[in-house]
Amino acid sequence: MNAMHATRLPIWWVCCLLLLMVACEEADEEAKSNNYKFVKPRHFPAPTYNFDKNPITKEGFELGKKLFFDPLLSKDNSVSCNSCHIQSTAFADAQQHPLSIGVDNRVGLRNAPPLTNLAFMPEFFWDGGVTHLDFVPINAIESPFEMDEKLASVVEKLNANDEYRQLFQMAFSVDEITSPLMLKALSQFMLLMVSANTPYDDYILGDVEALSKEEVEGLSLFRQKCGDCHSGELFTDFTYRNNGLNTDFKDQGRALITESENDVGKFRVPGLRNIARTAPYMHNAMFTSLEQVLDHYDNSIQHSPTLDPTLEKGISLTENEKSKIITFLNTLTDHDFRSDRRFMNQQ
Amino acid sequence: MKLYNLLTALIIVLAYTSCDSDDQSETEAVGTLQLKFDHFVGTQKMELSEPGSIEFQYETADGEAFNISKFGYYVSEIILEGPTGEYYEDEQLVSALEVKGFYHVLQDEPSSRFITLSDVPAGRYNRVTFKIGVSESAVQEGAAGGVLDPAEGAWFWNWNAGYIGFAIEGTAQNSGQELVEGDGWTIPEKSFALHIGGWKDIEVAEGENQKFVNNVKTIALQFDSDLRVESALDPNVHIVVDLLKMLDGANINFANSYSIHAPKAGQPLAEVLPEVFIVDHTHQ
Ligand code: HEC
Ligand code: HEC
Repeated sequence: MNAMHATRLPIWWVCCLLLLMVACEEADEEAKSNNYKFVKPRHFPAPTYNFDKNPITKEGFELGKKLFFDPLLSKDNSVSCNSCHIQSTAFADAQQHPLSIGVDNRVGLRNAPPLTNLAFMPEFFWDGGVTHLDFVPINAIESPFEMDEKLASVVEKLNANDEYRQLFQMAFSVDEITSPLMLKALSQFMLLMVSANTPYDDYILGDVEALSKEEVEGLSLFRQKCGDCHSGELFTDFTYRNNGLNTDFKDQGRALITESENDVGKFRVPGLRNIARTAPYMHNAMFTSLEQVLDHYDNSIQHSPTLDPTLEKGISLTENEKSKIITFLNTLTDHDFRSDRRFMNQQ
Repeated sequence: MKLYNLLTALIIVLAYTSCDSDDQSETEAVGTLQLKFDHFVGTQKMELSEPGSIEFQYETADGEAFNISKFGYYVSEIILEGPTGEYYEDEQLVSALEVKGFYHVLQDEPSSRFITLSDVPAGRYNRVTFKIGVSESAVQEGAAGGVLDPAEGAWFWNWNAGYIGFAIEGTAQNSGQELVEGDGWTIPEKSFALHIGGWKDIEVAEGENQKFVNNVKTIALQFDSDLRVESALDPNVHIVVDLLKMLDGANINFANSYSIHAPKAGQPLAEVLPEVFIVDHTHQ
């Protein structure tokens, strides 16, 4: 458009333009101060969560946070999500609880995984039984090993609480609280748990100084020895595999979902971000240190019919290689995430 | 410059659509059509018994005596078609605030057995198709309200997330179920619970076996005669659901099949679903 055309613009067009420009500027301002926005890290894959169906708002996120920390969600008001998912361990379980502890101190069957980068995961749980983040908390609430409560009673308790009624009104403009809205709020809180700010990320994004020489060597060893399964920026290919922990599996893992014998003893390849902080390791919490994990891959792979073919002979590693890989794994700790005030319970 | 183009385009579109809606002011003629579901066990009308009751009023072809304490299913994705291209698709909406196009039909809730389709374009119809169950596209919308809200009685599997599309519970003389008492719940002796779910339809890589079964089934039914839909008419279709066809079709033997709670075990029952639904008659 040249100046000639511009002069022919009717006055209301100009007004429109001006309005639009002002609106754009306001949006920029908002983005700067709005940390309730989901931002995909540049080097991450596309998110799997459909944000159009559940746009994150300040009110929704804060409500989700309140729910996450509230033992009201459990049968005897003793257990909250935060009992098993703690920020200092990237929302994995506290280290003194290898298998999570629920209502009445019942010991669960599996190790609670960290909650990070959930927006990018196609399936949830060690066996992949849940295919949408919204549905995950139903399991936690209703499992006799976790909160042992009924979804309907939680909704009833929430509706009896004036503060919650007001918060749901603010977040979703509703007078009555329903389970899907509670689940959407919890999702909003968990979706912002993006962990992508580590020395490793700085390195990948171009700061070659971010990792030491030894850490870089550890990275390339890791890619070579472990990268088949722990691949990509989330350090998992999201497949289900048997990495040789046992010869016989009380917990059948993926086979519970596929009902196929070929999947007995297979579990989701877990992501490894913040791994130095999430001990103990594996679905059954059988290792307490990364040294034990590497020794396992090196020399104690257990053989069973579903063992991953690439692990038939184990992964041979010298002590020096093991220590370099661990040095590298330590660079996956995201201190900003672990101290991000947005996720803290400030009451 | 781009903005100017954009605005121009916007105005054109606005002008165009507003003209469009002017044309539509003489609204299209529409009417309603009702589907009525009647539940039978063979030739007997289905009556529910108390859970655990050992009075058996029904019998399978193999002579296994049983009763029913709970029965129902989800109907979704309803489509009507007519001989000259008439077509109506019931709106599907899945969200936390509202769910449309999903119906939880329950024997113990008589009103749930009537599904009224409204805003059906006037014309003649002779065929209805619908799904029994809740398919992938709906499950993957995440937490949903209405008849899909587990806190409001939706049938949902937590551990293998998805909806139970069809469920039959009762007691059978030969059931192998032993008494189980939990904290605040019991499974009565000789009871049975057949829950059919499973919606995953995943493409299999070459050389691999299909791991999942999709038990969401499409039912297509032809009417005995054309039904006219008009604003002044009240047409309806009586659909008979014969549970015996299901149990006999899948050769259910309660001694072994008394507890079905996973997709693969439910597959034989899901496979016969298309024979279980029959158009009994229509009313103009
Ligand atoms: C008693 C401990 C406990 C409580 C309480 C608990 N969880 Fe968990 N959580 C676990 C365990 C154990 C798993 C892994 C379960 C599995 O894989 O079968 C898990 C898994 C998850 C996952 C899936 C993570 C992944 O990587 O797949 C999410 C999300 C989650 N929990 C969120 C929550 C929320 C939200 C709450 C509160 C409503 C909650 N949890 C309460 C122990 C707990
Ligand atoms: C064949 C695929 C495969 C390879 C190769 C592999 N892993 Fe794993 N890894 C897995 C699976 C599967 C699990 C989860 C097993 C379970 O819990 O049952 C796992 C778990 C882990 C865990 C525990 C994570 C947690 O949150 O509990 C660590 C740490 C780990 N692997 C590190 C490594 C390292 C380091 C290497 C290379 C030396 C490696 N893995 C190679 C498949 C693999």
